[in-house]
Amino acid sequence: MTAAKTLRRGQWRGVFALSEREVLRVLRLWSQTIAPQVIAAALFIVVFGIGLGGQIRVIDGVPYDRFIVPGLVLMGVGTAAFANNATSLYQARTEGFIEDPVSSSMTASQLAIGYTIGGVVRGLAIGVATLVVARIFVDFPVEHPFYMALMLVIAAVGFAALGTIVGLYSRGWELQAFVGNLLLQPLAFLGGVFYSVDALDQPWQGITQADPIFYMVDGTRYGLLGATDVSPWLSLGIATSLAAVILVWSWSLFVRGVGLRT
Amino acid sequence: MPDATIALSCDAVRKTFPGGVEALAGLNLEVREGAFLGLLGPNGAGKTTLIRSIVGLTRPSGGTIRVFGLPAGSPGDVEGRQLIGYAPQEIALDRFVPVRDTLTLHGRYFGMTRADARARADEMLRVFDLTDKADAFSNRLSGGMRRRLLLARALLHRPRLVILDEPTAGVDVELRQDLWQYITRLHADGTTILLTTHYLEEAEALCERVAFIRDGAVVADGAPDELRQRFNADKLEDVYLRLVGR
Repeated sequence: MTAAKTLRRGQWRGVFALSEREVLRVLRLWSQTIAPQVIAAALFIVVFGIGLGGQIRVIDGVPYDRFIVPGLVLMGVGTAAFANNATSLYQARTEGFIEDPVSSSMTASQLAIGYTIGGVVRGLAIGVATLVVARIFVDFPVEHPFYMALMLVIAAVGFAALGTIVGLYSRGWELQAFVGNLLLQPLAFLGGVFYSVDALDQPWQGITQADPIFYMVDGTRYGLLGATDVSPWLSLGIATSLAAVILVWSWSLFVRGVGLRT
Repeated sequence: MPDATIALSCDAVRKTFPGGVEALAGLNLEVREGAFLGLLGPNGAGKTTLIRSIVGLTRPSGGTIRVFGLPAGSPGDVEGRQLIGYAPQEIALDRFVPVRDTLTLHGRYFGMTRADARARADEMLRVFDLTDKADAFSNRLSGGMRRRLLLARALLHRPRLVILDEPTAGVDVELRQDLWQYITRLHADGTTILLTTHYLEEAEALCERVAFIRDGAVVADGAPDELRQRFNADKLEDVYLRLVGR
């Protein structure tokens, strides 16, 4: 084997190690990284779906307790993937231990891949756990499993990359709190998690349709329940484009060494 | 054609930080394979900036850095970085990872297989008397243990050039002696070492050659005896004060 080939193979071992480190951190801190989000999703299902669902009963032909499950799954995936990378990278930078992988023989692109995988795995773990917990309370089919899996992976990649951007730019916890609480949370709630866009009057219908998270929620709902407000391919296209733009942005920060190299 | 027997060559390396602070001002330095070089200078002279430039944590504004003939210093210079082991001045260890995993992860970041990294980690734990702490988290270790762990980590992937940035800063006399022994043994095995230190007696005891750095440039280098003769001084401290003292 040539030296270059050996080096390349070794570099990918580094990427797996970095991803594994991220996953191990999540598992070790499960009471902070997994449990709260799954419990919150379960509470939403119990309170809104089962408790208040009796007042609403059916949206687009779907029982309300079932209707809200895809949005909660997507919200869980997104917030977990975002929080993972924003927190992990910021901590690693401020405490200095990010210098170990950064000064290793991995390239900037490989570092970006390693961290992104970490966020994606945590996001998907939350998504799967939310589905499992929801299934305890609500009976639902999985109409288009491959579509749903694809949509969740794309969403996880996009949110993990956004977390990377925040983690690399942050000089304190404020930026993460700002993006998480003042940007993502409102967008998620206005993204049709709890309602159908058809039930809204203008300008709320327009506002919801301008919200990119709406397409991710609607796509996930199509994958899980087969119900949808817009074309599932439009949702997939918008989610993919958005995730790609954010991913390229986060990758460019690694290449330029933003927050990593002085 | 770069000379591969030169472990480290820095040619006109410059670094100007945003705001105009010039940390390296066309610094030249050469370290032959197997040598033990001490880099001496006051705070702010540019020692850490130089080291961080070599390992790719600081981007030089100009000049070239080569490690065993391979380019180093830029983010893309991965082949050069593969040959370097680096123990930073600040103790920065991943507090979410136990001691053994800290070492195995480092080995895998540098391309070792999981099994190789694990075996080497166990070896390093023995060498640095950390086997009992293999499953402990780094934030549960004493300062001395953390310092030893940093050194173990730097050596884990069997680098040919080891860069130690003030490895004995703030440690007690006993640990300093222990670290000196480790470092001396490492050098005896043929590893090239670049060490920065504020302790002149440390440089005299360990280093074959010392280089004095001031305002981002090397102002003199040579063997300690040679430097004392050249500057007609009794002690290396006198040479230091004359060359770089403020």
